[in-house]
Amino acid sequence: MSSTTTTRPNGLALFILPSALMFALFFFLPIGLMALMSVLTGNPVVMPKVAFTTRHYARMVGDPYYLEVIWTTIRIGLVTTLVALAIGYPLAHWMARIKSRAGHALLLMAVLAPMLTGIVVRTFAWMTLLSDKGVVNQTLMSLGLISQPLKLMYTETGIVVGLVHIYVPFMVLTLTGVIGRIDERLEQAAENLGASPLRAFLEVTLPLSLPGILAGSLLVFALAISAYVTPILLGGFQIMTLPILIYQQISANFNVGFAAALGIVLLVISLMLVIAYNRALGLVSGQRELQ
Amino acid sequence: MMKALGPLSRRRFLTAGASLGIGTIAAPYVARADDPTLRITGWGGKWGEIMKAEIGPAFESEFKCKLQIDSAFPYLPKLQASSRSAPIYDVMHTNSNEQWAAAEMGLVEPKIDPKQVPNLADVYPYAVSDKIVGVSIFTSAIGLGMRTDKGYGSVNSWKELWDAKYNGVRGGYVIPVNSLGQAFLMMCGTLFGKGQTDLDAAYAALEKLKPIKIVDFTGAMEKMLLSGEVGLCVIHDSGIYRYDGQNQPTDFVSPSEGVLSLEQVLTITPGSKMKELANAYVNYMLRPEVQKRLAETVWYSPANKKVKLDAKYDAKLLTTPEKVSKLIQVDWKWYNERKDEIDQRVNRIFRA
Repeated sequence: MSSTTTTRPNGLALFILPSALMFALFFFLPIGLMALMSVLTGNPVVMPKVAFTTRHYARMVGDPYYLEVIWTTIRIGLVTTLVALAIGYPLAHWMARIKSRAGHALLLMAVLAPMLTGIVVRTFAWMTLLSDKGVVNQTLMSLGLISQPLKLMYTETGIVVGLVHIYVPFMVLTLTGVIGRIDERLEQAAENLGASPLRAFLEVTLPLSLPGILAGSLLVFALAISAYVTPILLGGFQIMTLPILIYQQISANFNVGFAAALGIVLLVISLMLVIAYNRALGLVSGQRELQ
Repeated sequence: MMKALGPLSRRRFLTAGASLGIGTIAAPYVARADDPTLRITGWGGKWGEIMKAEIGPAFESEFKCKLQIDSAFPYLPKLQASSRSAPIYDVMHTNSNEQWAAAEMGLVEPKIDPKQVPNLADVYPYAVSDKIVGVSIFTSAIGLGMRTDKGYGSVNSWKELWDAKYNGVRGGYVIPVNSLGQAFLMMCGTLFGKGQTDLDAAYAALEKLKPIKIVDFTGAMEKMLLSGEVGLCVIHDSGIYRYDGQNQPTDFVSPSEGVLSLEQVLTITPGSKMKELANAYVNYMLRPEVQKRLAETVWYSPANKKVKLDAKYDAKLLTTPEKVSKLIQVDWKWYNERKDEIDQRVNRIFRA
């Protein structure tokens, strides 16, 4: 009887098969091809003589400019994540704990509403606010507070502002689910035992919401370091990030191999940061590894 | 329960109805299924509109074919990724710098056969010079665009772009990705050094050009100039003249040192299975009537010497041998061989 059970095809596996195939075809295969292209002298499909090479990686290591670009990309990703967390956490906490259903619905709509507009449109909206002739500078100048426009665009700060606006909803929605599942009676018990509300939050709610912080931060970080439109428009091409450099290599230098190598480096750095972040938060929350 | 009414049953009725419906929808496609398809590239905007509305359909009708236009830039990486024996395009239309890169990679034929394209005999020498791969069907002049409402005074030289009074309102391009930016870099070598190839002089000049607002394509620069974000910028004449009649406070300046040539170039891919049709298309685009219609729509200077434009356009565009002689062509082969090195340097110069 047991043998009959083991030979029967698993229904769940059949359900998973299409998505597993799609994942393999559209995720693992492209990354595998990108890794392969990064160590080849050309495209073997259209070029007759192609050899293995490490020159694309050597070029990156040999020129500090590329290391600076990598660091700029990571820096923008980290700052965006931290600011999105600082803005998103209180909002998510409020949404998770609000008693009124109507209030919750209104807050949810407020968070979701910006996501109904495209990233390009939202970035252009920021440009109309932050440019030299934009709303902010014109208002300050008309009030006589400044004589020359402030440099709000074409800076890393401008890019971070745009990215935070776009990615805060991802942080809020991720955190709301996690905070909502934390039993409020734990905080009440801490307060009954003499803890102040702040201490109850810091020692009970915050550690229990770490999985949400981790998930939201990873999501925002991954989106921020791979962002293209916002850094290009708000950075005015004067702030070079890896996605911009990759596009430049493909569209204008036609160097697919070097672009692939840059892509692999971006992927490896992201994975390393994810692992490091995971371990650090695991240790802080008293767990060896967070799932 | 429905009985069959004579020979017409419900099933037959539904089948006939569905067939009729599908037939009606598919008829135009079926009728044209045998038509050969010529795959080309082309710009969007006004160029794309007139190609879709007039120029393209007229070609399709005359040559009994279908024109498939890809206007989603960049074209060369897509051609690069497609098979050499079955390329994604039959005719590639893009700027000269990319055409040279494509020719170097063997993706396009370096020259057009004059026997297959008779109108080639009527083009200005620049359109088929040794600086051109394929044939330039139009050109625009790269010079300076300026606001006329800011009291800047008259501008006559490229060097005035370096004047400190334009700090904060100076406009240029992302050199690694923009033809105008790359041509301007070569001009810097001419202005401040020994010639186009004097890169050290060009880099030094670019350093002194900061602060400068840079954009990736000319459409963005047009918007910046119109909004007043920039007051003096590098731009092609078409980017200013196309707003003719809209009472915009902008003007194009042809600097005394000469204007740079921004060629609209057509090439044919070696692996194209539609060579005859591709040559016919190139010839068609060089016809005087086609050139006139396009030139007066997008304000590009026609390459065909026989084109007679209306007075308004003739006064501003490069339509005589004397005017055309002011054009400075860039040695894109030389530039492309050093592109990586130049990109690395200018990316450093313009980073914030």
